[in-house]
Amino acid sequence: MFLGPALAFFGFFTVYPLLSSFYYAFHTIGMAGGKLTATYVGLANFKALLDDPIFFLAVRNSLIWGVVGPVSEMVTAAGLAFIVYYRVPLYRFYRVAWFTPILVSGVIIGIVFRWIFNYDWGLVNVSLRAIGLGQLALNWLGRADTPLGVVILVHFWATFGFTFVLLLAGLSAIPGELEEAAQIDGASRWQVIRHVLLPLLRPTIVTALILSFIGKMNAFNVVWVLTNGGPLHFSETVATYVQKRAFNWNTLDLGYPSAIAVVWFGVVVIGIGLISRRLRSRIEY
Amino acid sequence: MDAPPAAVQRPGWLGRARSRLPLVLLTAGLLVFTALVIIPFVWMILLSVRSTGEILNNPYGWPQPIRWQNYVRLFFDPGIRFYRYYYNSLFVTFFALCLNALLATLAGYGFGRPRYHFRFRGWLFALLLFGLLLPPQIMYIPQFTMMARYHLLNSRWSLVLLYAALGLPVSTYLMATYFSQLPSEMEDAARIDGCSEFRMFWQIMLPLARPALATVLLVNSLSFWNELLLSVTMVTNPELRTLPAAMFNFIGENAADYSMGATSLVASMLPLLILYLVLSERFIEGMTAGALKG
Repeated sequence: MFLGPALAFFGFFTVYPLLSSFYYAFHTIGMAGGKLTATYVGLANFKALLDDPIFFLAVRNSLIWGVVGPVSEMVTAAGLAFIVYYRVPLYRFYRVAWFTPILVSGVIIGIVFRWIFNYDWGLVNVSLRAIGLGQLALNWLGRADTPLGVVILVHFWATFGFTFVLLLAGLSAIPGELEEAAQIDGASRWQVIRHVLLPLLRPTIVTALILSFIGKMNAFNVVWVLTNGGPLHFSETVATYVQKRAFNWNTLDLGYPSAIAVVWFGVVVIGIGLISRRLRSRIEY
Repeated sequence: MDAPPAAVQRPGWLGRARSRLPLVLLTAGLLVFTALVIIPFVWMILLSVRSTGEILNNPYGWPQPIRWQNYVRLFFDPGIRFYRYYYNSLFVTFFALCLNALLATLAGYGFGRPRYHFRFRGWLFALLLFGLLLPPQIMYIPQFTMMARYHLLNSRWSLVLLYAALGLPVSTYLMATYFSQLPSEMEDAARIDGCSEFRMFWQIMLPLARPALATVLLVNSLSFWNELLLSVTMVTNPELRTLPAAMFNFIGENAADYSMGATSLVASMLPLLILYLVLSERFIEGMTAGALKG
């Protein structure tokens, strides 16, 4: 009785579109004046996918990001979480400050960092020139090799605070007696972290890694605004490529982008499975 | 979910360190790091009170003079009229929050209270949580055709409906966990007094769940206010754009007007930033609660 409205709503606006995507993936979908025309094409969309170099570039970029992003975030966030956990001075201030970027819309982040990496007057290049490293002042967003790195860095800035707060909450939930007991047995702080806190924190780490991974795979706003996948698709991700094929290139076919999304959905699910499988199995000892 | 990050009795760095030097170095390092995190905000705010000429010629001094009138121009200049987008964003966020909270509270109650056990409950709940993992790309093309079919494209209501659906898994999860922690004695007492199911929900359980409801509203207001993908897809009429879409287009069309651009960024970020500075603990707790245990 209480569930009815929510489940109906969820079914209509989430489950039904999800299943429709699978249906679309096997069709050519045209839109004409609000009317949908679907022509069955079998596996043609998926075959086309295999011959699509931009798709493979987007997959490569997304996968690099999916590995580098969560790992770098986890290492930084874990280090910071342990430092703050031992109550360094100003720890409350750090916590609030590092979390702040989470609030900012991807659009704002994208625009601001487009300016920060501006060749002429951007913060990065001006700082580099000021300290005499002018030869390192690159056209960050206009080259082949740097845009993806910039995207990863900017997204790191935007979301590491979330991972950090998750880990800190996980640490605070560990009962203090365990740590005290280890200390009484003469364990150093490093040993306590290594052999007591880290193993107990593992479930939180897995959760945080998965969330971070999903975040990178779904990230659209920041890339869309910061580089728009450019230049020449060098920072294209699957999310931006789907959007381009569906609504920006006037290809008038929603079937092909649906096929991309379906394949990608499979990849993301496998990725999540890998993270949780690999790390869960190591919990038992 | 506890507010203070570290329990009181745990040893601080000061407790053990033989000399203070490591602590000083550590603090210096952390402060530099924090400065790097915060600098983009400061820079953005300084840009927003400069003129474009100043940004291009001398972007790093103190703004001379501080041009607060940028904000007035942003909102009321007949060519920009930013207040329209504010209104659209407020409209969409407000109604989506209401709809979402209504659905999620009911469902959370149904899922959370042990009295309502039924056969596929676990399955349904898992299905709902599965929604957390779904990339938006796998849903938004059919959502687009759906909205086209019902003639809701270029209407704020399309976004209201889709945002409410988008936030449903998190909200329901938060409400369900909270409801499941409430004691059942009060329910029993009320039932003996002949209270109807719906009155019990509305007058007894819902008031108790107010903290969870506040968390739900806070967490969702963040994601609804900042959403871009659905917004640019469903709404192409410039009059109806929400803030993120409007900023994106404004920057696209006026690429050289850095001053107004920066002003628009700060102006659209400000409501959330103020809310955060006042309620930072609640924000952090709420977003953590939604993610952990999940």
